[in-house]
Amino acid sequence: MANGWSIFIGLIIVILACLAAWFLSPKGETQTTWRSSLILSFTSCYLMWAITFLAQLHPLIHPQRTDLKIMPGHE
Amino acid sequence: MAPAQDTMFRSADMSMVQLYIANEIGREIVSALGEIGLVQFRDLNSETTAFQRTFTQEIRRLDNVERQLRYFHAQMDKAGIPLRRLDLDVHTFAAPSAAEIDELADRSQSLEQRIASLNDSYETLKQRENGDAERSFSVMNIGFVAGVIPRDRVAAFERILWRTLRGNLYMNQSEIPEPLMDPTNNETVNKNVFVIFAHGKELIAKIRKISESLGADLYSVDENSDLRRDQIHEVNTRLSDLGSVLRNTKQTLDAELTQIARSLAAWMVIIKKEKAVYQTLNLFSYDHARKTLIAEAWCPSNSLPLIKSTLHDVNNRAGLSVPSIINEIRTNKTPPTYQKTNRFTEGFQTIINAYGTAKYQEVNPGLPTIITFPFLFAVMFGDSGHALLMLGAACAMIFWEKQLKKVRDELFQMAFYGRYIMLMMGIFSLYTGLIYNDVFSKSISPFQSAWKFNITEEWKNGTSIEATLSDTYRYPFGLDWMWHGAQNQLLFANSYKMKLSILLGWSHMTYSLCLSYINGRHFKSPIDVWGVFVPGMIFFQSIFGYLVFAIVLKWSVKWDKAPAPGLLNMLIYMFLSPGTIDIPFYKGQAFVQITLVLLAVIQVPILLFLKPFYLRWEHNRARAQGYRGLGEASRVSALDGDDEDGHANHRPSVASDEGGVAMISQHVDDEEHEEFEFSEVMIHQVIHTIEFCLNCVSHTASYLRLWALSLAHQQLSIVLWNMTLANGLKSSGVIGVVLIVVTFYLWLFLTIAVLVVMEGTSAMLHSLRLHWVEAMSKHFMGDGIPFQPFSFKQMLEDDDSTAEIS
Repeated sequence: MANGWSIFIGLIIVILACLAAWFLSPKGETQTTWRSSLILSFTSCYLMWAITFLAQLHPLIHPQRTDLKIMPGHE
Repeated sequence: MAPAQDTMFRSADMSMVQLYIANEIGREIVSALGEIGLVQFRDLNSETTAFQRTFTQEIRRLDNVERQLRYFHAQMDKAGIPLRRLDLDVHTFAAPSAAEIDELADRSQSLEQRIASLNDSYETLKQRENGDAERSFSVMNIGFVAGVIPRDRVAAFERILWRTLRGNLYMNQSEIPEPLMDPTNNETVNKNVFVIFAHGKELIAKIRKISESLGADLYSVDENSDLRRDQIHEVNTRLSDLGSVLRNTKQTLDAELTQIARSLAAWMVIIKKEKAVYQTLNLFSYDHARKTLIAEAWCPSNSLPLIKSTLHDVNNRAGLSVPSIINEIRTNKTPPTYQKTNRFTEGFQTIINAYGTAKYQEVNPGLPTIITFPFLFAVMFGDSGHALLMLGAACAMIFWEKQLKKVRDELFQMAFYGRYIMLMMGIFSLYTGLIYNDVFSKSISPFQSAWKFNITEEWKNGTSIEATLSDTYRYPFGLDWMWHGAQNQLLFANSYKMKLSILLGWSHMTYSLCLSYINGRHFKSPIDVWGVFVPGMIFFQSIFGYLVFAIVLKWSVKWDKAPAPGLLNMLIYMFLSPGTIDIPFYKGQAFVQITLVLLAVIQVPILLFLKPFYLRWEHNRARAQGYRGLGEASRVSALDGDDEDGHANHRPSVASDEGGVAMISQHVDDEEHEEFEFSEVMIHQVIHTIEFCLNCVSHTASYLRLWALSLAHQQLSIVLWNMTLANGLKSSGVIGVVLIVVTFYLWLFLTIAVLVVMEGTSAMLHSLRLHWVEAMSKHFMGDGIPFQPFSFKQMLEDDDSTAEIS
């Protein structure tokens, strides 16, 4: 479901969202503010997500636990 | 030509205008412009002192009225009469006519006299009452010298008496139970009654002198007991008479003040406005011969039509045949920087303005700050639970905006001013909290994890076990919840967050650096693009762009066969011994790294020398063609006559040249232009180069604070959970119930106070620093002059005393 291609799919979605923000921002004095804010926030949220996703794509260490217990009745 | 619409991207276009106003309606026009609040008047009489200006008399008169109004206010405070407060957003006052102001002045004059006389009589009556009341006490005792003295002086009084009379006295005293009122300042004083017996006239006289010098009031008391009884009687009747007179006086006074209290706030506002109008009129130059006022002012070019129509309206209303004239003048003065804001953007713009005023029309960093500031904050404050608390507070402040505006608590006002910043910070922290998978230090598991614990035969409870990764599936959103509670969670989180900080820092700085390109293009100085922006960008990208590239590449490669390269070592060896590769990363790595280092090193001399030498060349070329700076023109032309007569490109006519200089220099102030000085430009560029190159390193490192603070925040909230609520949840029974309630409230309180308020403040300060230092140093020139329009609204907001009446 989610693999390395997700990064690019996400990128395409964010680019589309940015385009939509550019063209659909309300006209008038605040148009620039709308455009800049929407595009910047899409971009920064995408960056944050993509970095997190990439960091877990090929992790060098694996989670370790010592506090696991087998509950009676479970296997 | 209609100027482009003013946006937040850069400061608004400004125009310098000249106004010619008939003297009769000067007041009305300025007052109308004050309501608009978009015009900044220049001082045209800067060489005259405040006392020599045209409207000083009027200002003095208004000062006096203002003082009277303040006096009424003080009297109301004293009498405990509440002032009817004004809502300045609702009540707007039409500009009062001159007659109304005169009436107000007269009225307050007479009211002041009335109140002063009422007050005076009240005070004298009260004083007399006090005297009699004291007397009524001292009569009780018998003695040679009797009187009343303030209690705190009694000890000193006794000591002095004992020393001067060498113990030849008998003194008795008792405390007056109820405190007495001092009418001059309305304070209560505790007093004692005393009686001193001594013999000999001289001793008595001495005692009298000492008591008077210590502020005691002496009363004569007759030795005969009948007479004394009469005295007491007399005093008591006088007391009751005085009491009733006093009550009446006070009633009249209170009635008068209550009357005033109803409209005092409005009067105060009117007078303040009127005073501001005359102060502004004092900036105008007054043409005595033609009875006109001439003003020069800055205003946004886009509001010129509005200003023109306002002038027209005022003129029509006054029915004046002489029109007011407004015309735009061309000037080479630097216009003030005016960033138009609204309720939402105001707070963000304040963040930038607190650092410096942007140069006229340079890219306004306030625009990206709307997102980057709360976002970088959220990277450090990543916890959805805490974000919800913050978001709730922000939403509440926005929902009850009108009511909360009136709260006069300084700390609250600060939070209230930043309510929209808080809103954005809350939204972004909610998002980063989901990415970090932290909700009050706990994790949520909306998706299936990519990790699995495979239990083998030899595994027993309590031994270490390592999870295995799914082959195809990766956790789709945020950090996998399997990391939560894992032994090596910190190891992973540190590596992840450290790289996250570098990547975000790089993006933020690259973005800010690009703004300097936009500035270079807007100010039409290609040398700033080619000599500063391009080499700077190449330098930054070939080192840190490469680091970012390496981070992303390392993440996207599966390292199960070859050992993974250490990026830090790679970057260090890239500079220390270019060409040698410690652990190979990708093909052609040595070549790429050598090229990048060379590219970066070459940029340093370009950055250092290109701009200064280009400017010198340009300057020399202009000189060779015979151009001179405006200020030096007259000096040079004087020299021309003596020394440079033979020059081929000598100007044909000195006279016309001087005429031109004289005409233009009317609008040229000395500080407006600088002569070209090569050494200065060079030094400036050297500083810039050194700063830029070193800062590339230190600023990138500075973004690691994102990692440090988010780590601290997460660990702190885990510790808090474990120390409070975790204990409560562990225990059972009645104690468990009590413990859960107690620990829950402890946990909630500490979460809000420490994790949201304190940690939030600290993350905000760090985000602030990242903007002011790391980002703005890449493009911000910040040598602008703030636009300070003459505006009644602003004036009333800035005035401290307005807080008392609204």
